Amino acid sequence: MIRYRSIFLCLTALALQGGRASALEFAEVPEIHGQILADYCFECHDSLSEKGGIDLESLSYRLDSVESAETWQKVLNVLNSGEMPPDDEPQLKDGEKIALLRDLSDQIVVARELLSDTGGVTTMRRLNKREYENTVESLLGVRIEAEDLPSDTNSGGFDTNGSALFFSADQFEQYLKVAKTALDEAFLFGPEKPKPITQNLEPEVSLNQFYEKTSAKLKENFDKAQAWRNSDGSKPPKHFGILDEFEVRFVERIYNQQYATYRRYLDDPRSKEGVLLQELFNGTSFVRVKIPPKALPGTYELKVFARPLKGAQRTDTYLEYGFPGARSGEIERLGYVRVTNTKSADEPVVLKVPVTKNGKREILIRHRQHNNRDAARATFTRYLAKEGFGPEPKMLIDKVVLNGPHHETWPPRAVSEIFFKGMWWKQPDESVYAREIIERFANRAFRTRKPADSFIEKLHALYESETAAGKKFSEAIREPLAIILASPGFLYLAEPVKPEKQGKSEPLSDMELAVRLSYFLWSAPPDQALLEAAKAGDLREPGALRRHTGRLLDDRRSDAFISALAHQWLHMERLDFFQFDDRLFPEFDDSVKESARSEVFETIRHVISKRRPPIDLLNANYVVANDLLADYYGLPPVEGGHFRKIPVPDDSPRGGFLGMAAIHAMGSDGNHSSLVERGVWVTRYLLNDPPPPAPPNVPQLSRVRGKLLSPREELAAHMEEAQCAQCHQRIDPVGYGMENFDPAGQWREVLHLEQKQGRRVVKKKTVEVDASGSLPDGSAFKDFYGLRKQVAKHDEAFTRGFLEALIEYGLGRPYGFSDESLRERLLKRANTADGSMRELILAFVDSEPFQLKK
Amino acid sequence: MTSPLTPSTRRGFLRSSSALVALPFLESLGFQRFAKAAAAPTPSKRFVFLGMGFGVTKESWYPDQKDVGAGYELPVGLAPLAKHRDDMTIIQNLANQYNNEAHWGSTFWLTGANRYAEAGQSFHNTVSVDQVAAESLGQDTRYTSVQLSYKGGDNSGHGPGQSLAWNQQGKPMAALTTPVAAFHKLFSEDNTPLEQRQADLLKQRSVLDTVLEDAKTTKRGLTKSDQDKLDEYFQSIREIEQRLAKEKEWLEVPKQLPDPAPVEPDKSLQGVEEIKVMYDLMAAALQVDATRVFSYRQPLDSMIRSMGATITAHNMSHYQPGNRMDVSQQRDLKQSELLAHFIDRLKGIKEADGSSLFDNTTVTLGSNIHSIHYLTNCPTIVTGGGAGIQHGRHIVAAPKTPLCNLWLSLLNGSGIASESHGDSNGQLEELFTA
Repeated sequence: MIRYRSIFLCLTALALQGGRASALEFAEVPEIHGQILADYCFECHDSLSEKGGIDLESLSYRLDSVESAETWQKVLNVLNSGEMPPDDEPQLKDGEKIALLRDLSDQIVVARELLSDTGGVTTMRRLNKREYENTVESLLGVRIEAEDLPSDTNSGGFDTNGSALFFSADQFEQYLKVAKTALDEAFLFGPEKPKPITQNLEPEVSLNQFYEKTSAKLKENFDKAQAWRNSDGSKPPKHFGILDEFEVRFVERIYNQQYATYRRYLDDPRSKEGVLLQELFNGTSFVRVKIPPKALPGTYELKVFARPLKGAQRTDTYLEYGFPGARSGEIERLGYVRVTNTKSADEPVVLKVPVTKNGKREILIRHRQHNNRDAARATFTRYLAKEGFGPEPKMLIDKVVLNGPHHETWPPRAVSEIFFKGMWWKQPDESVYAREIIERFANRAFRTRKPADSFIEKLHALYESETAAGKKFSEAIREPLAIILASPGFLYLAEPVKPEKQGKSEPLSDMELAVRLSYFLWSAPPDQALLEAAKAGDLREPGALRRHTGRLLDDRRSDAFISALAHQWLHMERLDFFQFDDRLFPEFDDSVKESARSEVFETIRHVISKRRPPIDLLNANYVVANDLLADYYGLPPVEGGHFRKIPVPDDSPRGGFLGMAAIHAMGSDGNHSSLVERGVWVTRYLLNDPPPPAPPNVPQLSRVRGKLLSPREELAAHMEEAQCAQCHQRIDPVGYGMENFDPAGQWREVLHLEQKQGRRVVKKKTVEVDASGSLPDGSAFKDFYGLRKQVAKHDEAFTRGFLEALIEYGLGRPYGFSDESLRERLLKRANTADGSMRELILAFVDSEPFQLKK
Repeated sequence: MTSPLTPSTRRGFLRSSSALVALPFLESLGFQRFAKAAAAPTPSKRFVFLGMGFGVTKESWYPDQKDVGAGYELPVGLAPLAKHRDDMTIIQNLANQYNNEAHWGSTFWLTGANRYAEAGQSFHNTVSVDQVAAESLGQDTRYTSVQLSYKGGDNSGHGPGQSLAWNQQGKPMAALTTPVAAFHKLFSEDNTPLEQRQADLLKQRSVLDTVLEDAKTTKRGLTKSDQDKLDEYFQSIREIEQRLAKEKEWLEVPKQLPDPAPVEPDKSLQGVEEIKVMYDLMAAALQVDATRVFSYRQPLDSMIRSMGATITAHNMSHYQPGNRMDVSQQRDLKQSELLAHFIDRLKGIKEADGSSLFDNTTVTLGSNIHSIHYLTNCPTIVTGGGAGIQHGRHIVAAPKTPLCNLWLSLLNGSGIASESHGDSNGQLEELFTA
C-alpha cells in the first residue's frame, strides 16, 4: 500500500511543540473553512435540502470514522474535479480554494492513516521471496531464483508487511517446485570431488573464420549484382545468380554497410592476435565461452587475457560479461571488470561465474555497452555515415582460460549437514537414517518450533512410498525435504503466544528474538553463533544483543537488509522503469546504472559501519564509489570494482543522495528529467513531508499547448489552477534546484529544448539552467548547492523518515501514528550516544516493540 | 459431479467419436456430461474480462455523450471495430465510487470494493465478478477459471493484485504470466502413463495431508489476526484439494485441441504480439471448453514499447498534444484492432447448435481509469451475445452509475441469478431493451 504518512509530521511537530506529546486521535478539518461551505455549498447541501443525499451542515469536522472520511473524500473529489460548485453557481476564490483543498487532502491522509492504524498489532508473515531464496540457500547451499513466485511488493508497501503477504494455491505449488529444483541442484554429487578441467580458448580463430565467410559472401553477392548492373540489361538478375532487382538493391546496401568494416577488421594484423572488441553492423564483436555440457556445477574461473588498444580512453577499458540474453545482442549481466594492464595482455583479469545443473552454460564477454543490439547498430551507423566504416576497436581479447569447477569443501557443507551421519552412498539402514535426516532437517527449517511427531511420521511415510516406487535413497529423501520447505512451520515466521496471554503482548523467546534479528538484518536464518547464544540464554545478557546486532550489521549478509530497506524506502524501483536512450546517454549503460544503484546502498553501508550520522546522506564531502563510477563522475581514478570512500571538495556537486546519479535517474523517464518527480522525491524522502497522493479527476492544463517552454515555465502553469497549485506549490520549487542534473545524473549548465511533430524537430531552443527555488517551508535557495544546504538543515526530519521506514520494515506492519512515541524514543536514545545511523538501528533492536510479540 | 461412464467406456466412446465423425469439437463435447449434453445442447455461457491498465485518450476514444443510441458516430480510436459495431455496446458514466487511486486501473475494477472499508487495515478488497461467474460456470470444465497476466512489475497502471481476479475472501489470485505458460496449461498433454498420473495424484493428496498436519500444529497459540493469516494457507490447500478432485475426474479425458491446434508460442513474445497470442489462446480454450471464464490483465508498458514508443505507459497516460498523445492514440487504435481480431476469432468458431462461440460469450474491455488521472466514466466496451445485451448502441448512463451495476447485469443476463455485486444498486436495464 502506498504509504501516506508524511503530512502528519508537521502536525506531530506542532503537537509536540504545543506540549501534547500524545499521538493524534483523529483528523479534523479546520472549522475556519466552515464559512466557505456555508457560502458556497449550503444552498443545496444543508440539512434541509440535502441534495444528492449530501448534508454538509451536519457533517462532523472530525474525520473519525470510515464513513465521515468517505464523505469528506467525496467533498475533496468534487472540488478537485471542478464538478462542484456547479458552473452556474458562485465559485470559490483561488486563495480560499487552495487553503481548503490543502487542508482537506492533508486531513484525509491523516484520517486514512489513523483509521488503518493497526494499533501496534503485527500480522504474522510468511517468508517473502528474498527471504525464501536466502533461507533455502542457507539450508541447501544452492541459490535458486524463485522467479515464478509472485512479487511481494505488488501491493506497494514493504515486502515484510505480513498482512500484505498473501498466500495462494499456485504459490504452494511453486514453493514445492522451487524446493525440488534446489534439492536436485544440491544433491548433484558423487563420492569424488570433481576434478577441475582447464580449457584454453583462442577465440579469434573461429570469429575470424566467421567474418571471412561473411565478408566473402557479401562480396560474392555484390559482384553478381554488379555483373548484372554492368550488363546490357537484356537478361534478368536471375541470370547472374540474384533473385530480382529488389534483391540487387538489398545486396548492394548491405555490402556498402558492412563490407568495408569486415575487411578493415580482418586486415588489421591485431585481429590475428585476438578478438577486437568493437561495434559491427549486427551488434558488437564478443567472446563466447562455452562450458561443456558434462562439466559439473560449481564456480568456474575465466582468466581473460586482454589489453586496451591505441586510442582507448580510460572509460573504454571496461569489459562486461554475462549469460546470453533473451534476444541477440543482449546479455544477462553478471558484472564488469576493468582491464588495467595497458601494455600487453600478459596479466589476465579473472572472472568467477556460477554454473548450475539446469542453468545456462555460455558466457559472453564484450566491452561495456548498452544492452541491446539496436544501440550497437546505431553507434555503428553513426560512424559509417562519417567514416565509411564502423568505430575503431578499443580493446583486444587475446585468449581465455576456463578452469573449474571449484568447491571449497567436499561434499559441500550444506549437504553434509543434511546427511549428518555420512553421505547417501554408503548407508546400511536407509529407512532409519531417512527418518533421522527428515527430523533433523525439519527442526532446522522450522527455526523456533519443534515439528510434531505426527508430521515427521507422515513425511517418513512419503519417503517409504517413494522407495517402494523404486527410487533410490538420495532421490526418495528429496520428497519429504521439499515438503518441509513448503510447510507452514517453514514458510511462516510464527511467534505463538501462551493461551493465557492471548490479547496481551508477551516477550519473544530467545530463539524467536534470534530469528527476528537475523531476518531483520540478513533476510536469512540465524547463523551458528546467534543460535548458540539463543540456546544458551545469553542473548539478553547485558550488551549481548548489541554485540550480535553489530556483528550482523558488519557482516556482508546485511547487504540484504540495506538494499531491501533502501530500495523500498526510497522507491528505487523507479530506476528500472525506464530504458535510457543510448544516443542521448551513451555512457549510462547497465554497468554504470548498476554501479549507481549500488552507490546508494554502499553509501548507507558506509554511514552505518563508520558510525556516521544520517546527515551524511544529505550532504557529505565524500562519495562511496567504485572505479567505474569514479570515472563517470570525473573523480580522480581509483582501481577495483569494490566501493570505497573518495573525498570530494566542497564545491563538488557529488556527496550525499542529491549528488547521486541513481537519484537523478529515478527522477527522469530515460529521456527527460522531471522536476515534479524529483521535487516529490525530495519532499517525500529527504524532508519526510510527502505531498498527498496524486488526486483523481483534476482537470488537465491546456494553456501550455504548442509552446516551446522550459520545464520551469511549463510548471508555472501548475500554479494557475487551485487544484494543482495546492500541491505543486510545495513540490515544483524543490525540483528546480536539481535542474543541473541531466536524466543520467551528469552535470549540465544549459537545457536543449526541442519540439517535435512525430519524429521531426520543428522548434529548438537552448536555455541556461536556473536552479533557484525554495523548500515547502519557504526557505529559498539560489542554486543546487543552496538546495543541498537547505535540505541538510532538515536532517532531523530526514532521520525521522528513516526511522519510520526502519520501524515499518523491521516490525512488518505499516508505520502508524501509534508508533510516534517509539520513533521519538529511538531518536532521543541515539542522540544520547553519537546520533549515528548505527545507534538508531541498535536502539530499535533494543526497543520493546522489537522484542515483543503482539 | 457424477459421470455415468466408467473409464473404459469413456475412453471407448472418445475413440469412436473421433473415428466416426469429424465434427467440430464442441459438438462432440458431451463425453464428460454425455447424457446432459445430448438432452440439452444449449451452449454454455462464457466470460472474458480484458483489463487494459491506464485509461484511454478521452478526446478520440469516447463517442460524443449527446450522440447516443444505434446511430452514433464511432470515434477514431475505435475505428478498427467498425465491422463489429452492431455486436458491441459502449457504455459511458460507469464508475467505482470508492476508488481514489489514480494509478489503479484493475485492483477494484471487477470488485467495486472500498480500499478502506476495514478499520485497522490499509487495504481491503472483495470478490471479483469473474470469480462469481466462475463459481457457477466453472463446475463442468477442466479449469474453473483461468487468469492471465504478464511478467514484471506494475508499470502498466493496474495497481495491486496478481491478476484481475480476487477470490471469495478478497485475496489476490495468481495468473499465468506468459503465453508459453498459458499454452502448456491449456493445451499441452501430459504424456506420463495414466497409472503414473493416478499415482501422482495420490501422492499429491498425501503431500497436502502432510502439510495440513503441520498447519494444525502451527495454528496453536496464534493470535486471532495470525490465525486469519494462516487461514490463507488452509484455504489454498482446500483449493488444491478441489483442483485435485477435479483433476481426478478429468484424468482420463485428454485435453482437447481445436483445429487448427495452437502451437507453442515463441518465448520472447512481448507487447502487442504477446497480447494477440493470449487472445488466440483464450479463443482456442473457450472453443474446446477448457474453461468458461477468462480474465486478462494486459501489459501496457511493453505494448506501447513494442509499437516503437520510447516513453513509459504512465508518461503516456499523462498525455498532452504532441508525442505522448500520439502514443496514447496509437495505443487505442492497436487495442481496438486487437479486440476486433478477438471478436473475429470468436465469431469464426461454431457451437453445436449452430450458433457461434461469440453468441454465447460476454467480453468486456475496460479499466477503472478513464484517462490521465480521471476515475469517473470508466472506459467500457461490452461485446458478445452471452448476456443477451441489445448490442449496436452507445449508452450513456446517469453520471456515476456504479460499474458494479454492469457486472450485476452481465451475471443475471447470463443466467447467474444474483441480487447484488460490490456496490451495485440495481441493473443497467437499458442494456437489455432496445
